[in-house]
Amino acid sequence: MSLTKTTAGKTIDIVKNLPRITLANLRPNPGAKKDEKHRGRGMHGGNKSGRGHKGERQRGNRPRLGFEGGQTPFYLIVPKYGYNANHSRRPQYPPLSLRRLQYLIDLGRVDPMQPIDLTQLVNCRGVAIQPLKRDYGIQLIDEGADIFSAKVNLEVQVASEKAIAAVERNGGVITTSYYDPRSLQILIKPVPFLMSGDPIPKRLLPGEDLLPYYTDASNRGYLADPDKVQAARLGLAKKYGYTIPDITREIFFEMLVQRKDPRQIFFGLSPGWVVNMADKKILKPTDDKVLQYYGNMKSL
Amino acid sequence: MSASVRSMSWTVCRAARVAYRAFNPATRSLSTGACLRTESNPAEGSRGFIESTEEFRFVERLVPPSRIPTPPKHEGPAPSGWIPPSATPPSLPYMIRRSRMHNVPVYSDIKHGNQHSTLLRKIEGDIWALNKDVKEFLLGLTGKEPPTQVNEITGTIRIKGQFDKELKDWLLKKGF
Repeated sequence: MSLTKTTAGKTIDIVKNLPRITLANLRPNPGAKKDEKHRGRGMHGGNKSGRGHKGERQRGNRPRLGFEGGQTPFYLIVPKYGYNANHSRRPQYPPLSLRRLQYLIDLGRVDPMQPIDLTQLVNCRGVAIQPLKRDYGIQLIDEGADIFSAKVNLEVQVASEKAIAAVERNGGVITTSYYDPRSLQILIKPVPFLMSGDPIPKRLLPGEDLLPYYTDASNRGYLADPDKVQAARLGLAKKYGYTIPDITREIFFEMLVQRKDPRQIFFGLSPGWVVNMADKKILKPTDDKVLQYYGNMKSL
Repeated sequence: MSASVRSMSWTVCRAARVAYRAFNPATRSLSTGACLRTESNPAEGSRGFIESTEEFRFVERLVPPSRIPTPPKHEGPAPSGWIPPSATPPSLPYMIRRSRMHNVPVYSDIKHGNQHSTLLRKIEGDIWALNKDVKEFLLGLTGKEPPTQVNEITGTIRIKGQFDKELKDWLLKKGF
């Protein structure tokens, strides 16, 4: 059947002969836009103009939010207590379940052939992090540990023991690492930072509260002793009753073993470098003092 | 066993060992800073920096994709429970497309804490036939025929009650 005989064909013919779209031809669908009431101009926008009858409401003199007419308000009558101290400064870690991670891998949104870190997860819209709300990264929780079956090189900020076991059982590698708030903002939104032309900063080390967590091998901390991490892997396998697959003979062994330097924010990019996005170049400093400050790191 | 353990110990944590050495200040001087000074062009170095395009591929990895990727092929359900749409659309008078993120477009809603409803979106074809089938299915499930609201223009059906799991499974079984 020729194209012009179908409904779509006839529509195309009509549309081809219509005049060009200009500002004069545009208008919204009927019922899409409702006119706003002009207050103070008679009939139902007028009379009291939606302000009510007399009193503080009409006169615009209502008291502050939370005021209860003189009764001690809720926010003052509830006493402060020690266990709430500094609650708004505590680090928060939005959870990432293994089930969600498996779902993202199944739908092709995150690539298990590359190391999965927070940038990849945010780019595929798998997690939502708000560094300004005291989020310090993500925590891996073990919901979905029984259905998880992907081999990944994962980097999170906190991980539960069962989740670590689930990842390692499938032949993957998991690391927990710390990002200070500035590095975290750069990590989750690399493009605005790289467009700014600032040199990549070096990641700060964790403070005294979090240092014990990241130097502990049972948490797979990035500052822990590699020998102890290996021992912890074996111990966890014994505890949960599985054998660690030998990943040394994997095709993707190089990718699975890739780790960031403790001062590095991005894979392959050293601190101190400036990225020129427009010309697709990287500018590396050569001054001795600058290099010493940024740590003379071999980028890998 | 011990040999493989030893080999694993060396190889698995090789990169971690590099990272550990880099972190430990006593050994930092041992790690080479050569990568940062490989370009030996004196004119460029005199400007205070060197230009390079080798590592730009790492920058390209950081840029988020602008399109939602198509899911890879799975035979049957994926490990996470996601079921791909059947290759040939089912031979029914109606069709229900997948959402942008490749999921079945059935959503549950609650208004004012007590008004439960289920929304079935992206319906094409004979929507009244689907309405009849949905009512039949829910009659068999609950014993009551739930009231539904059909919107022909937007291609949606709103059903009273929360049936999103059951309707999703029913549609997946049909092959949508």
